[in-house]
Amino acid sequence: MKAIARRWGSIAAVLVAWELAVVSGAVDPTFLPAVHTIAAALWELATAGEVWTNLLVSTYRAVVGLVIGSACGVAVGLMMATSRAANGFFGPLVAMTYSLPKASLVPLFILWFGIGDTTNMLTVFLATLLPVVVSTYHGVKAVPQVLVWSAQAMGTSRGEILRRILIPASLLSILTGMRIALGFSWVLTISAEMIASKTGIGKLIFLYGESGAYAHMFAGILAIVAVAYTADRAMIWLMHAALRWHDAAPAVGEH
Amino acid sequence: MESAAGGAVNAPARLGQSVWRAVKFTYPIALVVLAWAIAARSGWVRPLFLPSPQAVAEQFWPLLVGGEIVKPLAVSLWRAFGGLVLALVIGAAAGLAMARMRWVRWGVDPVVSFAFPAPKIAFMPIFILWFGIDDVSKILLVAFTCVFPIIVSTYHGATAVSRTVIWSAQAMGTSERTLLRRVVLPATLPYIFTGLRVTVPVALITAYTAEMVAGGGGLGSALMFAQRFFQTPAVFLYIILMLLSGVVLDQVMLAARSRLIPWQPEEDA
Repeated sequence: MKAIARRWGSIAAVLVAWELAVVSGAVDPTFLPAVHTIAAALWELATAGEVWTNLLVSTYRAVVGLVIGSACGVAVGLMMATSRAANGFFGPLVAMTYSLPKASLVPLFILWFGIGDTTNMLTVFLATLLPVVVSTYHGVKAVPQVLVWSAQAMGTSRGEILRRILIPASLLSILTGMRIALGFSWVLTISAEMIASKTGIGKLIFLYGESGAYAHMFAGILAIVAVAYTADRAMIWLMHAALRWHDAAPAVGEH
Repeated sequence: MESAAGGAVNAPARLGQSVWRAVKFTYPIALVVLAWAIAARSGWVRPLFLPSPQAVAEQFWPLLVGGEIVKPLAVSLWRAFGGLVLALVIGAAAGLAMARMRWVRWGVDPVVSFAFPAPKIAFMPIFILWFGIDDVSKILLVAFTCVFPIIVSTYHGATAVSRTVIWSAQAMGTSERTLLRRVVLPATLPYIFTGLRVTVPVALITAYTAEMVAGGGGLGSALMFAQRFFQTPAVFLYIILMLLSGVVLDQVMLAARSRLIPWQPEEDA
C-alpha cells in the first residue's frame, strides 16, 4: 500500500495540480483541457470503438514489423558474430545506416508501395532490425569462447552450438535489443501514420488536432502512451520469464 | 636517431594500413551503390521510382546553389542542437538532484518511468497546439525526447559515485554545493556523456521526423516537398544528406569524448 502511494503519489499530485490550474481559470482550457474533460473524452472514445480499431491497426503494424525485424536482426547478428566475412560486409552498412532517421524512407516507400500497411511495416521493420542486429552481435561476441571450445571438443555440431550455446547465452542481450526495438516500433508506426496514412492512432491524433477536438487529441495520446507502456512492461516480464534460469545457471556466470 | 629511423620505416606501412582499413570499410557501401546503379540503368525500374546514383548526384549542385541544402540543414541542426542543449541542462540537473535529494526522486522517478517508453512523437500535436509549427515546438519536442535518457544516465552515474569518496569529502568539511561541483559532477561526467552520445542521433532523428510530420522548414520539410512534386532524385539526395549528417555527428561526438574525458576510455560500443 505504501509502495503504491509512493509510486503514484507524485503522478496524482501532477494530475491534481493540472486539474486545479485549468478549473480555476489560470490556464486556458483550449490549450490544456482539464483532466476530467480528457477523462470524459477517453471514455467516449473507448465506448465508441473508434480508438480501438485504430489502436489495433497501429499495434498490428508495430508488432508485425517488430517480429520480422527482430527475426532478421537475430539472424544477421548471429552471422556477423560467427563469420568474419559477414561482419566485414554488414558491419559498415549497419554503422552507416544506424543514425539514419528511418522515417525519412516513408516518402520513398509511399512512392513504391503506396499509402498503407506495407509502407508502415517496412519502416518499422528497418527501424527494429538494426538495434537487434547490434545487440545480438555484441551478445554472441561476449559468450565465453571456452563454452564453444568445450562443445566442439565433445563433437557438437555447428547448428547445435548455435542453438544450445550461442543463442541461450546471448539471450539477455538479444532481448534487451528487442526492448529498444519495441520502443522504436511505436515511434516509427506513429511517425509513418502522421506523415501519410488513412488509418491508425497516429493519424487519428493528428486529425483531432487539426479539427480542434483537443480533449480527444489528448485522450488519443494518452491511449497510445498507455499501450506503449503496457507493451514495455510485457517485454520486461518476458525477459524475466525467459531468463529465469539465468542466475541459477552457474556455467554461464563462472567464466 | 633510432626512433626517427623507425618512424620513417613505419610511416608507409601505417599509411598502407589505414588505406586498407578505408577500403575494407567502404567496399560494402560501394557494392550497394553499384547494385543500385545496375538496377537503375537496367531499365527494370522506372527512373521515377529509382533514379540512378548519377541522377541523384547531379541534383546536388543545383540544390546547393539554389540554397535548398545549406539553409534547411542549418535549420534542422539548430533545432536538434537547441533541443539537445536544453535536454542536457535539464536532464543533468534533474538526474543529479534525484541522486542527492530524496523528495526530488519521489517526484521525478514515476514520471520518468512512465515517460521513458512513451513514443514522444505522439506528443507532436500538443507541441504544435502550444507553440506553433516553427522552431520552438520542434526544439521542445527534441528536448522532451532526449531529456529522459540523460536523466537516467546522470542518475545512474551520480548514484554510482563511491560512498567513501563522498564521506571523505564531507569529513573534510566540504559543503553540499562544493561536493556536487568538485566530486559528484566530475565522477558523473562520463555517464552524462554516454547519455548524450545516445541522444545525439535521437535529437537529429526527432528534428527531421518532426519536420516531416508538421512541416515548418528544415531538411525534413524539404524532403516532403520533393516527394510531393515527384522529384525522386532530390528525395534520395535529402535522405543521403540526413544519413551523412548523423554519421558525421557521431564521429564528432567520439572525438569530443576523447578530448573532454580522456581519463575514461570509450567502451567498444
